[in-house]
Order: sequence, then C-alpha cells, then structure tokens
Amino acid sequence: MEEAKVGVFLSDCGGQIPKILDFEALTNFVKSVPGVALVARGSEFWRGQGLQTIVDAVKTKKINRVVVAETVPKISEVAISKAVERAGLNSHLVEVVDIKDHCAWPHRDMPKEATEKAKAMILAAIEKAKLMEPIDKAEFPSVKSVLVIGGGVAGMQAAEDLAEMGFQVYLVEKEPFLGGLAAKAVRFFPTDDCAICIQSPASLTAVTQTSRKCVYRSGLSEIPNLNILTNAKVVKVEGGPGNFKVTVERRPRYVDEKKCVACDLCTSVCPVESPDEYNARLSKRKAIYINKPLVYPPVYVIDAKACKFHACAKCVEVCPTKAINLDKKPEHLTLNVGSIIVATGFREYDPSVIKEYHYGEYPDVVTHLELARMLDAFGPTGGVPVRPSDGKPAKRVVFVQCVGSRDRRWNPYCSSICCMISLKHATMIKEAFPDTDLTICYIDIRATGREHEYYYEKAREMGVKFVKGRPSEIIHDPATNTLIVEVEDELLRRLLELEADLVVLATAMVPSEDAKELAQILGIELDQDGFFKEYNAKLRPTETKRRGIFICGGSVFPKDVPTASLHAHSAAVKAAKFLMNGKIVKDLRVAVVNQDYCGNCQFCPVTCPYGAITLEPKGEGHFAAKVSELLCEGCGVCVGTCPVGAIELRHLKPSQISAQIRALLAVNGTSKPLVLAFSCSECGHAAVDSSGMAMMSYPANVRVLRVPCTGIIQVHHILEAFKAGAQGVMVVGCKPDGCHYEVGSQKAKQKVEMAKMLLQAYGIEPERLEMFNLVFVEGDKFAEAAKAMTERVEKLGPLQFA
Amino acid sequence: MAEEKLLDFAREITGRLGGETITNCYQCGTCASTCPVARTTERYNPRQILRLALLGQRDEILKGDAIWLCASCYNCQERCPQKVEIADVIYALRNIAIQEGNTPAIYTDFATALISEGRLAPISKFLEKKRAEYGLPAIKPTGLEALKKILAATGFDKIVFKKEGATK
Repeated sequence: MEEAKVGVFLSDCGGQIPKILDFEALTNFVKSVPGVALVARGSEFWRGQGLQTIVDAVKTKKINRVVVAETVPKISEVAISKAVERAGLNSHLVEVVDIKDHCAWPHRDMPKEATEKAKAMILAAIEKAKLMEPIDKAEFPSVKSVLVIGGGVAGMQAAEDLAEMGFQVYLVEKEPFLGGLAAKAVRFFPTDDCAICIQSPASLTAVTQTSRKCVYRSGLSEIPNLNILTNAKVVKVEGGPGNFKVTVERRPRYVDEKKCVACDLCTSVCPVESPDEYNARLSKRKAIYINKPLVYPPVYVIDAKACKFHACAKCVEVCPTKAINLDKKPEHLTLNVGSIIVATGFREYDPSVIKEYHYGEYPDVVTHLELARMLDAFGPTGGVPVRPSDGKPAKRVVFVQCVGSRDRRWNPYCSSICCMISLKHATMIKEAFPDTDLTICYIDIRATGREHEYYYEKAREMGVKFVKGRPSEIIHDPATNTLIVEVEDELLRRLLELEADLVVLATAMVPSEDAKELAQILGIELDQDGFFKEYNAKLRPTETKRRGIFICGGSVFPKDVPTASLHAHSAAVKAAKFLMNGKIVKDLRVAVVNQDYCGNCQFCPVTCPYGAITLEPKGEGHFAAKVSELLCEGCGVCVGTCPVGAIELRHLKPSQISAQIRALLAVNGTSKPLVLAFSCSECGHAAVDSSGMAMMSYPANVRVLRVPCTGIIQVHHILEAFKAGAQGVMVVGCKPDGCHYEVGSQKAKQKVEMAKMLLQAYGIEPERLEMFNLVFVEGDKFAEAAKAMTERVEKLGPLQFA
Repeated sequence: MAEEKLLDFAREITGRLGGETITNCYQCGTCASTCPVARTTERYNPRQILRLALLGQRDEILKGDAIWLCASCYNCQERCPQKVEIADVIYALRNIAIQEGNTPAIYTDFATALISEGRLAPISKFLEKKRAEYGLPAIKPTGLEALKKILAATGFDKIVFKKEGATK
C-alpha cells in the first residue's frame, strides 16, 4: 500500500467555531501529527470553494486521504466523497468529523477543554484515515423479470405496472381464476363500483384508462410479456436478488386454455355437484365449472377432489373442441426472475370458534362475505338476502361488528375494513329492499378513509339503526325460527333482545393460509399477527429485509381496494427501480471472513439480519463462513458475534477501532475523568448531533466513537477503552425495536451485560459501563446521560486495575 | 385534577390481585349484556362499574352497593374480548372497600360466624336432627383454633371489623 498522505481540512463553519476553539492551536497540533501532508482552513468544505480546495489537493496528488473537520457527517460526507471520486481518489478514503455539533457547541462555555477535545477528535480521524484502504464497486447482473405471487387486486395491479414498463412478469395465482377476495365483494365502498372490474384482469387496463370498455377477454391477458399462471403455487426459491430461481407447481386444469371456448356443454352433462367456494358454499356447482359471469381465464376447470374422471368422462365426450384431457399431471416450471412481489392477500376468519355466536350451528348466522355473495345478482340467491335455513327473504338483519377481531382471545388487531363493509351491505339492502329492518351493533364505527364518513351519514339517513354495544350471545328460538341477539345499548344503558331473521358477523380478516409456508420459502418475516412484515413501516413499506423481495396489499395488513392498489403501485416502482439497470451496482462496504480463522461455530449465519452469511465446505468435515457481497449491508453485527475475530468490515477494521480508541483518549485536557461513548451511525450518532445542534451543554471529557451499528461492539473493545484511559464507557444505539439493522442494538445490550460481568470479575465497578437507546429528538437525553455518567464515574473515583 | 385522580384509582386497582386487567376495557358492553344480575336489576351493570373505576369515581364505587351485587358467575369474564378479568376486578374493588371499612352488614355476619364457629353459616339443632333422620353422619367440628390463628395472622379480623373497631 502506498504511504498515507493525509490532508486535513479545518472548517470554522462561517467563523463561528474560532470564537470557541483555538484554531491556531488546532492547526499547529494537526501539523505535528505524523502522516499529515496538508492542513487547510476554510469556512465550509462540503460545497462551493471549500470543496474545490479538497478536489485540487487530491488532483495534484498532494494527498491521498481526506479528513474534514466540519459539521454533521450525514450532511457533508456524501458530497465530499463524490467530489473526491471525481478527482480520481477512491471515495471511501474520506473521514468527516463533526467539531461543531460534537464539540464547539456543547462545550462553548469551556473553550480550553473543547480545544483539547477537538484535537483528540481530529487525531482519531487522522489515525483512522491512515489505515483506510480503497473500497471497490461491484456489479451483479440482474434479470429484468419479476414474479408476482397472488392474483388479487394488489397482485394484478403490480403485474400490470411492471409488464407495461417492459419487464417480463409472471403472475402466479393459487386459485383457478384471478380476482382474489375483492372479486367476491359485489360492490366497493364508498363509491359502490361493481366488483366485476376486479374479476377480469381486463378491467385493470380498462379502469386505469379513462374510458371503461367491455372488460371481457381484453386488457391484462393481452399484455405480451405478462404470463398469468393460475392454479399454481411457488414451492421453492433459490438464488439471490437479481437472479432468483423459482420453482412453480401448476396443478392441472384438465381443460386446455387455448382450446376451451366456454360453451358450457360440459357443465350441462357433468353429474357431480359440489359446494361452490366462490359463492361461499351457499350454492352448488358442477365438478367442471367456471366462476360466473366474467372471469380470467375464461376457461373451465375440473375440481379434482369431486370429479370421477374416467369413471364418468361425459364432459370429454361432449366437448366440441376436444379441450378436456383427464390424464393431465401437475407441471413444475422453473422461472428465472430478478425480483419477487408477494401479494397473497388476506382471508375471512372462521368465526365458529366464538361459541357464543353459534356460527356453523345456526344456519341463519352468516359472515359478511357470505352476505356479499347473496347480494350479487349473479350469486346464489340472485341478489336477495335470505335466511339459509328456509330460503325466505330476511326482513330483519342484525350486523355484529368486531367478530374475532379486536379480541385478545382470537385476533387482537382491528381488521380495519369491516365497519365499511357492513355499512356497504346495509345501504345496499336498504336501497333494494327499503322495508328491511337493519341494525348494526358496534363498539366503534371506524370510517377513516376519504368519503367514508359520508357513507356512514348516508346509512343513518336511510334508516339503518346503530346500537353501541357488542352482543354477548345469539340465541335461536326454534318455535319461530328467529334469532335473538342479546346486546346492551350502552347509550341508553338498557339491555336489548334484538329479533333477527339473519345475523351477519363482521368477521376478522386474517393472513392467507399459506403465508407462513411462503415466508419460509422466501426467507422473509411475518409480524406478530401473521402478516408479512415490512422492512420499515414508515419509510420502506413495501420492502422486506431480503433485498429484491417486496410485499404489498392485504398480505401486509387488511386493506380496502384503493389502499391495496396504492400499495401495489408502490411495490412495482420499487421492484422496477431495483432491476431497471439490468445490474445491481454496489460499494463493497461489506464484511469479509478470514476463512483460516473461522471456527465453524455457526453464530454469524444465524445472527446476520440479512441472511448474507452461509457456511461453505472447506476441506474434510470443515465449513467456513462466507459473506455474500450482494446481500451484506455492512452493519458489522457478525463482527460483534464472531468469537474468534475471523470477520471484519472493510470500512471499519479492528485496527481502525483500536486506533480511534487510543487517539480519543490520548489527551484529556479537562479536570473530569474521560468517558468514551461508542455510538452507532444511525439514531445514536444523531442523538449526539441533535444535543449539539440545540446547544445543550455536557462536559468535554465525553468522547464519541462512531461505528456503523452498535452490534459490531465486542467485549474487548470495551475493555480496550478502559485500558486506554477511559474511566467510563457509554454505548449509544437505536431503540431496540428501531435498530436500523434489526438486531444490532439488542446484541449490543447483551455484549454490555457480558462486559459488566467481566468487569466485576476484574474488580472494576460495572456501573462504569452503560448502554443508552436514543433517537435524534432525544439530544437532551444524551446530554443528560453524558453528565450523569461523568458524575457517576467521578463519584467512583479513579479506575483501579486489579 | 380530574385526570390525575382517574389514573390514580386505575393504578390502585391494577396493583391489586385480580385488578390487573382493568385498563384493557374498551367499553363494548359484552359483560353487561351477558350478566344475569344486570338482567334483573338496574342497580348492577359491570360495564358501568368498570367505566366509573376508570374515570376515578372512587367514592361512588366503594361506598355504593353495586359491587356487592355480583353473583360471581364469571359469564362476563368468559366472554370479554379484551380479557378483562371482570369478576376478579369486582373482587379487587370489594377488597379495597372492606379495607376502608365499607363492609355491608351481611358480610360482617358472615365474618362473625366464620370466627366464632369456623363456618359462614351456623349449624342449627334442626339441621342436625334432620341429618340424623336421613342417616347422614354428624357434622364434624371445624378446626376452629387453627382457623383463628390463620385469620389472625392474615389480619382478617382486623380488616372486616374495621368499621366497628372490634377485634373478635
């Protein structure tokens, strides 16, 4: 490696800092540090003339390492790195240290001590820079192809977006027809659109375009680079982002999609009847069937569980196009895709577990999806809400909200759309059959979307009754075949017994049945309720912690149609952005394993939040860890986990951490005991930034060492700090639940606990070490913690090594 | 401050055995509509008791008679969607009331019988005669001395007779 020639750029931040820090002393000090080839002063170095000064110094090859003492690195670092790269130096040979917010501002009432601290901070940056090595970029080829799992609203929207952007798209749907749950909803609130649009993918194009044309046999199915695979399931995923190898199992339809003309002759001769799932089992259909009236694909399918196959084969005889082949076997397809979008949606909870409502026991207790099917003019009752027990029209209907949701016994969360579904059904019934007596029993009506409150108003105007109270029991009176709903009208404080012909349970919405299995296949997480978990609910709502795998729609949480669409478009954009260049370009700020040292303990593959570490065979019976450069996010949690020090980060080597510890503690310059604070680059460092920005004061004996994530910290780092002169050590990381690298903050906490035990064994007070979990807006808490730690350590007296 | 009072009483209840779950309550009314007592009298409504408790209406609950009307059938607790242990909360409220000397007369009678005879209900001559007629064995005497020790050790006697100031 060439000899390090460090250029140090001291910014006075518009003349503010020299009022506190002694810049002459600082400049002279820096000049005296070995390896420093240039010291320059300016008012700001991350833009304008200041930046040009750095560029010129690099271009003339006076320097090959850049240290800038400036303001918040998060603001300045990127600009400086990019400029340095344009000047011909590797962009990773840059270190920015914040002498304003980490030194001058918080210590403005102690200029002498602050100057000494600034010297230590800049020295640490120089020592780190001297040990820096260039870090290359790597390119990973990616396939311009996307797999979308789930053919409901979200899946179809995402598939259409990506296909029209030119990606090769595979849309895999487990059912024989597209449409998902929304297709069964008849109408959508709050505008009462017809759900047929969802049933045929055609609609997607039709809806998104201004004129709504006939939706049958057009639209999605005609986008050439979109492959729709119904009756299919993802069974295996291999490879990695940009290049997944996906195995899809396709159950036979037994009817050739190209030959079938949907003439219906087969259905007319089929002798087998089965309950119709599409109509919530309220009616029967034949073993060879198609969902009426408009679906994609417009092709019949044979229900393998019901069909008698060759014992009957009447459909084969009658089919005019010879489209039916009863000997078809399941097919396995292998797809090569760059990215995967999960859109598996949600389903209705089975309320039969809630004994007091007697669903499944009393036929006239139905779910809201079952009512939706009754309200479909093409449905089992032709659009009339009837009592399943005797088929008579229901004149008195009671809706029960929050059935199995907001219920700690079953599903504690609010399913979010059931209030609107019941309002929709009540107004639909009231419009068609104004004499019907309708009552909605609710705990809270949650109508939070745009125009949703107007919808609630409309229901009240139409005469739908609302009872605030959750029923405790549904009773069946066999003499009159009437249901009695027991409920307290809380507002009257009166117990009511509501008579009903039909009771509709607004059942919870829960994750699709195969969510768990799919999560395992894809290696992504589910949340506590069983829905797919996003990387960050606020800022990365469609990403997962596996690069290249995205989630959207009801698979993430129950959603109405507009929200599912929005979410799907967002996932499509993310997937497109990920694949658009045909390659993934990445700075190799990653972990590397010294395989000779690896002890095959298997800690790191389990700990890595990104599944970036695998074990590969290394000789007879021995394995060694290997880091995927593509998957690694460079957090260093593996480094903190490795018991033998076989892993290091390219951008923060062990020697660099040690050098900074020594430099930061080399000079005290204050009357107080030195305290070293390890902080993560994310929330922890930001909390330190904000305490300085707000000019909150804390003693200058507290020195901050920035690491990517506190998860990298090992017990020996903490001991090293004590050995180098620290009287106290702080670890400042993100909140345990808000760690930017998922587990880092929790791992650091464990490490701190371990170190405390070890300190005790050495006869050192464990109180000298403490972890703090802070965020940006808690700058005041950092200042308080720094003061409190200093006071605590002062009380304990000088550190005594046993 | 009304708000302070609200939290204070709720915290007092959650700190009591049986009272831990009261803050789960979201006032859905399932308890009220399943309660057999609420069906017969307007003087008792479990939802309303929880509401008053959460709003810090200490005196109204502890000095009133409502909490003593619960029949302990546990219907409410079985069906509560928020897993509020309602019947147990009522017990916790009763315990607070008794500790503060708000003991209904009937409970004082029970306690007197328990301490003097080791039973909640006294055994009458008539009852003994009837048992003999039916061929049932005579009721064994209770271990009164041991019971007295337990009751004294737990401070039971001091608590239940607080109002009267008696100890035996």
